[in-house]
Amino acid sequence: MTVSLSASPPLRRALGSGRVPLARRNLLANKARLLRSLAGIGFAVLLMLMQLGFERAFFQSSLQVIELLDGDLFIQNAHKYRFVTRQPFPPADLERARLVSGVASVRPLYADWYSTFWTNPYDGKVFLVRIFAFDPDQPVFRLPAVNAHLAALRKPDTVLVDRRARPFLGMGGNAAAAKLNGRPVEIVGRFALGPDFQNDGTAMTGAQTFASLLPPGAPRGIETGVVKLRPGADPSAVARALKAALPPDIAVFTKAQLIRFERDFEARVSSAGVIFAMGTIVGFVVGALIAYQIVYTDVSDQLPQYATLKAIGYGPFYVVGVVLRQAGLLACGSWIPAFLVSLLLYRVIGELALIPLATSLAIVVVSFALTLGMCLVAAAFAMVRVVAADPAEVF
Amino acid sequence: MKVPLAWRLLVHDKRRTGLAIVGVFLAIVLVFFELGLFIAVPRGGLLLYDHMRFDLMLTSNRYEYLVDSGVFPQSRLDQIRRRPDVARVMPLYFAAAKWQGGEGGQWIDLFVIGFSTAASPFTVEGIDRRLDILRRPDTMLVDSATRPMFGPLATGRTVKIDGRAEVIGGTYRLGTGFMGLGVALFGERNFARLFPLRGLGFVNLGAIVLKPGIDAEQAARALQKALPDDVRVFTRRQLDAHEIAYWTTRSAVGLIFGSGLVIAIVVGIMIVYQTLATQISRHLPQFATLKAIGYSDRSLYATVAAMAAMIMAIGFVPAALAALWLYAVIRQATLLPAAMTGTRVVAVAFAGLVIAMISAALSVTGLRRADPAEVFDGRAT
Repeated sequence: MTVSLSASPPLRRALGSGRVPLARRNLLANKARLLRSLAGIGFAVLLMLMQLGFERAFFQSSLQVIELLDGDLFIQNAHKYRFVTRQPFPPADLERARLVSGVASVRPLYADWYSTFWTNPYDGKVFLVRIFAFDPDQPVFRLPAVNAHLAALRKPDTVLVDRRARPFLGMGGNAAAAKLNGRPVEIVGRFALGPDFQNDGTAMTGAQTFASLLPPGAPRGIETGVVKLRPGADPSAVARALKAALPPDIAVFTKAQLIRFERDFEARVSSAGVIFAMGTIVGFVVGALIAYQIVYTDVSDQLPQYATLKAIGYGPFYVVGVVLRQAGLLACGSWIPAFLVSLLLYRVIGELALIPLATSLAIVVVSFALTLGMCLVAAAFAMVRVVAADPAEVF
Repeated sequence: MKVPLAWRLLVHDKRRTGLAIVGVFLAIVLVFFELGLFIAVPRGGLLLYDHMRFDLMLTSNRYEYLVDSGVFPQSRLDQIRRRPDVARVMPLYFAAAKWQGGEGGQWIDLFVIGFSTAASPFTVEGIDRRLDILRRPDTMLVDSATRPMFGPLATGRTVKIDGRAEVIGGTYRLGTGFMGLGVALFGERNFARLFPLRGLGFVNLGAIVLKPGIDAEQAARALQKALPDDVRVFTRRQLDAHEIAYWTTRSAVGLIFGSGLVIAIVVGIMIVYQTLATQISRHLPQFATLKAIGYSDRSLYATVAAMAAMIMAIGFVPAALAALWLYAVIRQATLLPAAMTGTRVVAVAFAGLVIAMISAALSVTGLRRADPAEVFDGRAT
């Protein structure tokens, strides 16, 4: 051990600076072992980071489209149990909503998830896709690549497609013609949205084209009314007024409510939350175990030194502090590289799987807290020996 | 010689060895967990097929997977019925409808399966017994795994399905897989009444049972040749492979749990490596002594490898048992058919052995420092 004690603890405390960074020096004393330790804990942390990332991506992928809707309030059929399902309402209700004071505009969004089939222009194979439609004079998405092609969408049988759709759909590339429900359509532009866990690809058309694509017998009407408020209007007051003006089978949402509505549905029925939480917990336990092994080994190796410190008058808290600081340093030292690797993996897997895999403040905070937690818990268990270290016995 | 030495090294420091075993245990549980999900997801997609009787399956030529299967004309089935090697042909019809009786007034998507009640294509006892019920007008059977948001699935309850009043005639246990949040079975006559525009002219699947002794592969080839190319003939094995490929390569699922599996294996390697390297550095003087008295490097490596294998073997058994429990939790929490199979135990045991050997190989670099002259210099750590 390379500790040089040049002043007595009380004096050192009085000086308030220049403390011996014992924890750091302890760790650095054996660099090979340190590297091994950091790699061990780091991979457990990486495991947690990946699980947290997948969980976020799962929920995020289905919320992406809602977030891209350019509106303050939204009206939908009240029977709709989630955003991603066909349950249209009559256009008359949209007209009624337009008359409510405080409302600047209400634009119709048409959508279908069940009955629109896309023919891959390259190999002729047919796939179910998601389709959104709107009046080109009343765009509803905050997607510049979509809004750049509004004029082209006014022509019948034109379509915009998602270049980030799953590759087997053949929506990328530069094909200018394809088929939707067997009907030839002209591809007039491409945007980048990406698939989610239910939809492999997305097409967008004008409302006229959409109406002609629907199979006979399919329910017709508006899926979501995208409401914009007049400047200064109070969203909750307008939402109340809309509810009062519309029949009871129409529901009104703010954007945050619509996102929560979909998120709650996913959380209720899908098992993704449970699966990724289980993965994270296993990562935590594995990490804690590795950390325990490391701190325990270190503490047993340094036991004579710790006993010496105690013998010359350092209290148990000092030694405990050293071990805890060491655990904290291990946490930081393993979290930082694991986090950097996770950014790389998010990017690579996100691109391959076409899911919105990216870090977030929540992931950073949760993963770091878990890492620190597992190192401190491990240190606390390992320390039982140090505290008990009796100078007389150790020698 | 190496094995007893390795054993004694492990027994010497029981606490540390115990720790290593717990580490291996967790690593193996982790591998079972990720592998379980990696396989359970495609299995969930296969749930319906796993509960059907058929030797061959006739589908549209644009068949993607169960839920996006495409349709073909019913007349193709009549062509098959006349063939001498075919015992039975059972059509299946799929449709989506709104269950207008969900909790809180919600109208929920229901996956509807129609079939001829003359012969059940399902190997589910609860369906066979209730074929009579399905012959009653406007009566359906509901899968018991249908989510609670559909409201009570009580026999006798009337629910509007796409605006038409239908009676729940009972429930059966098969599982909803990835067909949706709820699944209902209808006899084909009721199915046609519920979806008048759709009718029975177009079929989603044709389950074909061959006469005893007929080779499925051969029959499939002959059938494919005899039929127009708007349909596709699958053997059971081919259909299995097709669905698994769909879920592992076409959806994001394969990549998510596949990468989880890779990380689980790396974490396993890190744990075992950590343990072995610590053991080696702590016993460096002893290893150096062995070297000094004539042990070769190779026999010391073998000792380390034996230690790794022993830790793995001891940790593996409880891990496999814990995985059984974990799979039960997954089944409960996700309704996915996570199950332990013999092949999987063997596969994970093999992965465990690979983990042990890689970590042994990584940690023997530490042994090179076991130079008798240097170690007793007092600088060993």
